[in-house]
Amino acid sequence: MDYLFHMLVVACIYGTLAIALNLVLGYTGLLSLAQAAFYGLGAYSSALASVHLGLPFSVGMIIGGATAAALSLVVSLSAARLRDDYFAIATFGFQYIVWHLVNNWTDVTRGPMGIAGIPRPSVLGFTMASPVSFLVLAVGMLLIAYVVSARIVRSQFGRVLLAIREDEALAEMLGKSPLQFKVKVFGVCAFLAGMAGAAYGHYFTYVSPTSFTVMESILILAMVIIGGAGSLAGPIVGATLLVALPEVLRFLGIPSSAAATMRQVIYGGVLVAVALYRPKGLLGRFGFGL
Amino acid sequence: MPQLIANTALAAAIVLLLGLGFGLIYRVGRFFHVAHGAVFTAGAYGLFLVVHVLGISLPVAIPIAVVLSGVLGAAIDRAVHRPLRKRNATPAVHLIASLGLYIATTNAFALGFGDQTLTIRGPAISEGLSVLGARLTPIQLVTIALSVVITALAVVLEHRTDSGLRYRAVVTDSALATATGVPVDAVLSGSFLVGSSVAGLAGVLVALDVDLRPTMGLGPLLLAVVAVVVGGVGSSRGLVLGAVLIAAVQNTVGWFLGQHWREPAAFAVLVLFLLFRPRGFLGPRPAGGGER
Repeated sequence: MDYLFHMLVVACIYGTLAIALNLVLGYTGLLSLAQAAFYGLGAYSSALASVHLGLPFSVGMIIGGATAAALSLVVSLSAARLRDDYFAIATFGFQYIVWHLVNNWTDVTRGPMGIAGIPRPSVLGFTMASPVSFLVLAVGMLLIAYVVSARIVRSQFGRVLLAIREDEALAEMLGKSPLQFKVKVFGVCAFLAGMAGAAYGHYFTYVSPTSFTVMESILILAMVIIGGAGSLAGPIVGATLLVALPEVLRFLGIPSSAAATMRQVIYGGVLVAVALYRPKGLLGRFGFGL
Repeated sequence: MPQLIANTALAAAIVLLLGLGFGLIYRVGRFFHVAHGAVFTAGAYGLFLVVHVLGISLPVAIPIAVVLSGVLGAAIDRAVHRPLRKRNATPAVHLIASLGLYIATTNAFALGFGDQTLTIRGPAISEGLSVLGARLTPIQLVTIALSVVITALAVVLEHRTDSGLRYRAVVTDSALATATGVPVDAVLSGSFLVGSSVAGLAGVLVALDVDLRPTMGLGPLLLAVVAVVVGGVGSSRGLVLGAVLIAAVQNTVGWFLGQHWREPAAFAVLVLFLLFRPRGFLGPRPAGGGER
């Protein structure tokens, strides 16, 4: 049973990451391959805050989110100058640089060895040591992300994002500064991803660079696209499907070492199939100019 | 110092070989062909398959592996990118499909051949040859020589032949090319075939020089993308310049600061160029580059 709760915690963390990415990808139309960088920045900054400064999880989560949001400026400001696919490549570069900094800056991050001994969160003396108690927190985080994204989408601000996605020149003509909106929505996206990173670190009590590679960014992107970019529920569906996939493969009798590789083959193939046959994803309304 | 120059030349040669095909495809397809990295890997695994599973000797196996990767590239175009073009998909959709292809293909290699590093039994390992005070193995010398020859051939092919003329017509204006009877799909298939063969050759050369892993393609591919962007899309001289610059930055940084700073240095160059000069050194003014 604990295993099921564990999988649900993982699904909630990925769900939060996917919801956050969807704000940028699905609602603003910007293809970002840097989500795992923000996720990792959040995980590392909250891990360091709790291991070195002894700060509680709640503060760590805010520090994680804020660090990621601050660094998202580097990415979002470059959106002012670059066409969409060039922007995607720039985010790819950003992701690579952040990963290598985390991996190489051994004095602070301990490099490939990672940071161990991150405490499980505790509330009023009760430590969330079991997956089921942590699940309460993870579901709470997912709900926050969902509500934040739903409120943004239904607000005036969200309608401007949609206008930018559909026709940027028109939005600009109506007196909206696309860059200002992109910077803000990227900040929210990175903040949520940073929170998810903090939750990851405090749940696994260990962070290392291997969890935040560019492949992780592509996985999160695939979750949004397969679930349906530009729909509120799509990212959660996509995250659940891709988190459950290796378990399903294992259930079918495939050894777990091969299951991980096979998951990659399947989701890579599904990504191609979605692009070819259903660019809107399972639940989406938006298919990148289709 | 001579060794640093030799290492730079070798790295630039690989980046150039990959960048030639990537640029060739980018200019007509107008999308970032990430799966080009999988085609490069396919060259290496194709060689392993032909030599070690089918037991064919190396001199015959190399052309087979090169053709196999060329065919893989053309098949990718036929099965995925041509249907997307018919639907007028945006470059972002092509890029997403290409990412999916890269992941599916390289992990299929991992399933078929295993995750571990493999080596191809080539001729007996000999000490490197001494060239102007630096040490290079014969295969490294061949790599450098081939990249020079193929770059020259690519320039000739593009500017001195009928196929090159049709290619340039599609690059300039694909709709107009269609209207004047240029078979646009055939030009694209040809570009994929040629570009992918060269990428496969690069994979073969790297596999013979070092070894092969399912993930071997992403790093070199991204460096090739950096070289194409830095040099300016569509300029052969720019590409050579970009490849040399990237290789020089990587090797110099690696030499003085440590090998683990090689990659971030290359990507820092990419991000700087994207921010301050998206059309690269020698790229065409607006449309061709990445500026909005």
